[in-house]
Amino acid sequence: MGLINFLAYLAIMMGIYGILSLSLNLQYGFTGLANFGQVAFFCLGAYISTIIVLVFKMPFIFGLLGGMIVAGFFGYVISIITANLKEDYWAIVTLAAAEIVRIFFLNEDWVVGGGPYQGGSFGIGGIPQPLRSLFSAYTYPFFYLAIVLVCLLATYIVINTLTQSPFGKVIKSIREGDNLPLALGKDVKRFRMKVMAIGGSFGGLAGCLWAHYHGFVSPNQFLPLETFIIWAMVIVGGKANNKGAILGAVIIMIFYNSTRFLKDYIPIEEVTLASLRMVAIGVLIVVAMLFMKEGLIKEKKTIY
Amino acid sequence: MTVTQVVINSIVRASELTLLSLGLTIVYDILKFANFAHTEFAVVGVYLALFLNVTLGLHIILAAIIASFVTGGFSILIDRAVFKKMRSSSGIIIMVTSLGLAIALRNTIRAIWGADAQNYAVPLQTPIITEYFRITPLQIWIIVIGLSAMFAFHLLLHHTKLGKAMRATSDNPELAQASGIATEKIITRVWFIAITFASIGGILIGLETYILPYMGFAIIVPVFCATIMGGIGNPYGAMIGALVLGFAENFGLYINFEKIINLGGILNFSKELFIPTGYKPAISFIILILVLLIRPRGILGKKKEG
Repeated sequence: MGLINFLAYLAIMMGIYGILSLSLNLQYGFTGLANFGQVAFFCLGAYISTIIVLVFKMPFIFGLLGGMIVAGFFGYVISIITANLKEDYWAIVTLAAAEIVRIFFLNEDWVVGGGPYQGGSFGIGGIPQPLRSLFSAYTYPFFYLAIVLVCLLATYIVINTLTQSPFGKVIKSIREGDNLPLALGKDVKRFRMKVMAIGGSFGGLAGCLWAHYHGFVSPNQFLPLETFIIWAMVIVGGKANNKGAILGAVIIMIFYNSTRFLKDYIPIEEVTLASLRMVAIGVLIVVAMLFMKEGLIKEKKTIY
Repeated sequence: MTVTQVVINSIVRASELTLLSLGLTIVYDILKFANFAHTEFAVVGVYLALFLNVTLGLHIILAAIIASFVTGGFSILIDRAVFKKMRSSSGIIIMVTSLGLAIALRNTIRAIWGADAQNYAVPLQTPIITEYFRITPLQIWIIVIGLSAMFAFHLLLHHTKLGKAMRATSDNPELAQASGIATEKIITRVWFIAITFASIGGILIGLETYILPYMGFAIIVPVFCATIMGGIGNPYGAMIGALVLGFAENFGLYINFEKIINLGGILNFSKELFIPTGYKPAISFIILILVLLIRPRGILGKKKEG
């Protein structure tokens, strides 16, 4: 893989994870919802879009919207259960829910029509890439990068506008404890559900982009590990700051991908390297929580 | 499989879960955060015992005891290095930190011992076979150890000075401290007890099945479910939760749901309806949701403000 292709790949991954990070930041950073199952949205977006485009032969844009709607709906359904619960319960319920989604796609190959499309533990291959025929193999990644960046920008604008609006002020007050918003007559439960639905649909968007870029989805691409990487992005970049969330995605992706080349220079096995990479992610979360609570870019605090 | 067999399997599973959920619940009770690294600590004990048992050739019982105590001590070190600096932080902040710790621990183990399944050096178990069930001596041990752990916890909480101090610290840390209870000392002991028990639970699971770096993650959902189901922070609740979950997981796969789906014979959808084995991990989660919907604070949950 040439350097320029690698950079395009890296930039696409940064964009996709940037969307995931923005989505988690809306849930955790702004609203204080500890979603340990962010990967569920990613997985649903990827699978639903794949089914719509590959099995039902519909255009890419329908896959994108379908994935967003289903993932957003899933976020809404999960929050019906958790909306009244404390954050500890929230964490375990979302973590488990994400595993259920993965187990579902692992066991049910009929959802993709089985047969020619395989599914189940084999995954689904041959997912069409949008407007692939118009570009050469060399230029296509740059076109796809443009799609990803447009989506990232749209996500940023929507979430940034939301968090600066009165809606944003309410969810921040929910983060600081339920009593203030309740005293102001705000329906805390409904706000939490809305945040999960919005966050979920953007997570789904990232999943669609991911599936159509790689052309292959399988349940073991959506392990809980992915959730923890997204958490590292939000925590390192700076929670409750949208620029921070994107910066976190950029830093973690550079770290995650550059360490792959280490094995060319030092004699180390692939499995061990993969483990050490995750050790570093874990330690990074702990260290950031201990010494850098606000992350790299601090939350903008306004006094009224 | 006979019903007796399913009951035995359920009790074995419940005993293993009890050992893990008791520790999780007392750490929550004293420190007020959900420790996502709890089962990973247990796996540290599992691999230490593997090292002592297989590499150094110690007897498994000796290896298990040493490994569990060392792991208990290790958790105190981690508490000093990480959690002690966060005593005044909110539960959610400490919880996220424990998640980072869990990832680091799990992958350190994987980097050292590899990702493949391993086994302790123990002779093959000859099961006791009767007409209705079969049980291995190990499974009997698991049940005995589980029951002893429950009894030990009851004694600890209600018949020792430490138990009294723990309950006081849980109810009101400031008041406890003002009454001359050394809160930090209590916290150190709670960590040691919680993680030692967790490690024993992990080693028993390792003995009954096999050892994997990911076994901590595989049991985190059942252990949390058992703990939450009974009311997080309540040791008796954790025991009941473990029992309910042990039975639910095993009977869930055993029962034919045909009668329920056909409304007792009114409809005729299908003749046989079992939960597919692939969904076994989902059972604990479904039970958790049902319990949380009906009783948001768990079966034996304490009523607290806000």
